[in-house]
Amino acid sequence: MLIIDGHLDMAYNALFHRRDLTRSIQELREREDPVRCNLSSHPDSLERRGGSPHTLYKGIATVSLPEMRRAEVGIMLTTIMARVQTPSLTAHNACRTRHTAEARGRAHLAYYKALERRGEVTFIKSKDDLERSVTAWQDPQPDTPVGLILSMESADPISSPEAVAEWWEAGLRSVTLTHFGANTYGHGTGSLGGLYPPAYPLLDAMRETEMIIDLTHASDQAFWQILDYWDGPVHASHCNCRALVEGQRLLSDDMLRAIIERDGVIGIVFVDTMVNPQVNWDDPSTFVSQAARPMRAMIEHVDHICQLAGNSRHVAIGTDLDGGFGRELAPVDMDTIADLQGFLDLLRGAGYNEDDVAAIAHGNLLRLFRNNWQ
Amino acid sequence: MAHQLIIDAHLDLAFSAVQVNRDLTVPAATVRTQDGENIRRSFGSCTVTWPELRRGHVGIVFGTVMSRIDPNDEWTRSGMYCQDQCHGIGHGHVAYYQVLEREGLIRFIHNVSDLNEVVDAWQAPTADTPIGLVLAMESADPILSPDNVAEWWDLGLRMVSLAHYGISSYSHGTGTEGGLLPRAKPLLEALAAAGIIVDLTHTTDQAFWETLETYDGPVAASHHNCRTLVPGQRQLSDEMIKAIIERDGMIGAAFDAWMLDPDWKKDTPSYDQATSATLDTVVDHIDHIAQLAGNTRHCGIGTDLDGGFGSEQAPRDLNTIADLQQLPDLLEKRGYSAEDVTGILSGNWIRLLSQTW
Repeated sequence: MLIIDGHLDMAYNALFHRRDLTRSIQELREREDPVRCNLSSHPDSLERRGGSPHTLYKGIATVSLPEMRRAEVGIMLTTIMARVQTPSLTAHNACRTRHTAEARGRAHLAYYKALERRGEVTFIKSKDDLERSVTAWQDPQPDTPVGLILSMESADPISSPEAVAEWWEAGLRSVTLTHFGANTYGHGTGSLGGLYPPAYPLLDAMRETEMIIDLTHASDQAFWQILDYWDGPVHASHCNCRALVEGQRLLSDDMLRAIIERDGVIGIVFVDTMVNPQVNWDDPSTFVSQAARPMRAMIEHVDHICQLAGNSRHVAIGTDLDGGFGRELAPVDMDTIADLQGFLDLLRGAGYNEDDVAAIAHGNLLRLFRNNWQ
Repeated sequence: MAHQLIIDAHLDLAFSAVQVNRDLTVPAATVRTQDGENIRRSFGSCTVTWPELRRGHVGIVFGTVMSRIDPNDEWTRSGMYCQDQCHGIGHGHVAYYQVLEREGLIRFIHNVSDLNEVVDAWQAPTADTPIGLVLAMESADPILSPDNVAEWWDLGLRMVSLAHYGISSYSHGTGTEGGLLPRAKPLLEALAAAGIIVDLTHTTDQAFWETLETYDGPVAASHHNCRTLVPGQRQLSDEMIKAIIERDGMIGAAFDAWMLDPDWKKDTPSYDQATSATLDTVVDHIDHIAQLAGNTRHCGIGTDLDGGFGSEQAPRDLNTIADLQQLPDLLEKRGYSAEDVTGILSGNWIRLLSQTW
């Protein structure tokens, strides 16, 4: 069955973590063997010169295009991800300036275009594109391109309201204003505060298009400020339930109801820290580095949202796999993104009927775009 | 004496901003306080920012797009496994320059009239005279194929080196042995058709001569010193220098201690050693080329400052790139005429670009 993953950071993985996503997961993992014996060909490289270079945690890879094809994860929302935040040990991937954020954002776009040129993906910019991709995945071939809906996590690469049209033209269809900390447009996860003044003209410009606002990573205050101001379509591409795991990063029941009321969709994240009741996202000392729960734990969050809604129309999948964590923090019964088909079986086993499963796997996100695109 | 316009034919500014994550709109001293310990150790103390360039009257720069195939390069975050990745990073670098152009800090130089206007503006610059930028590429990996050259030309690309360190998609580069790869020939044909200068810096000896045989368009060695003075593949032999002179090409003097100081220890971090090279050592290399040519027409500047190293690995009397303004005096002391000095600092690069376009 076709699965739509509502949130992946493919270009970030390709360009920041240097993963060639057209290769098998096995090859990606071999390349990242921590005991490497090869040195950079650049003579200035610190490790070549006997210094100790700073290495980054990137987790064990779980996502690559062949893995997605294998499990019919045939359509994805995948990000432009470059936020402004003062870089630090815990924000190593943040950009110091908006110049850098915009440059990295456009690097991400260029990477997706290069993948499209190679036939690995196909951009979905319109209803027609969407239907074509859905049709192709009803009878997938080994080389069926993965449908790509461009999204943005942190709006920093959008330099001004005037730039929205250009990004729309490039394919951008869903945007979170904020990410971690405070950025150009307001406060995000891990910070207290609301939107900044530039957020409003940006929202106005996005309303001129058929952009969908992604409420993920908005601070509580920013979440409600956006809903007060924005009368367009919304979703939360990758968010779990605060009733089950504490912290601002997750959605309270009031927030879930507000999204449901707007006919929005909430994507379930496949990371242990968002299904582990001992974790509190507002208290980093509670964070864990190793998963201890199977995919079944995600179903509790699916159930919770369905109970609030009274139906299964507002839940989707937004795994965020390889989005700052790897297999070590993914559900213990998940090796790669290809195991998502097993998640659908778990839903069936938990009493969801075939229509419900189809809605969660792809139907609800399809509705979101079909209803909001001309 | 009033400041002279200087052209620096090789700066990895976008790399510094996008990969190293520096704010280049502030003085170098400020960047040094912002860089984390790991950045400072890896890439050295910052020497090049837009205000420093302005202070040094470096009014025109060749700014690079820099991403190459180098699977083991965890360090610069620009060495990649495949060309799609290089293409992405490369576009990010262009985007950085485009953002600055939109904000009026720089101006792309696409053709002779752009060039003349920027040169004129820098005869009497004001605080907001934009710095002229000629887009260059170090390692051709971001160009996916010959039919992708047109896209890069439209973005402003005017000079390309086929390789960098290691083996690119098109050629063997510094630190390896071997020549051009099969894909080089059609690329060189497309570059010649577009009128893009081929930068011979970072090619192996074999690839150097093969390129000259294959490619009949304009050539330069953007940041390259003399092997007679500092041994090693990274420098140009006298025969190579003569070949470039014969093609009426240009050689930019590089400001990297590794290329200036024969005693520089490549296997020791730059923060654990000191070089004896000074700006006068750079002049030695310029002079060597001038003596071979019998004139100064082929000598220019291509510092490569902040191209993976900082002030620790630059001439010891250079703090930031603004110190390039010491060069006119140093050249005059060697007996170069005012005309020669102007040629070396800017005129010769202007000639190459004007002839090419």
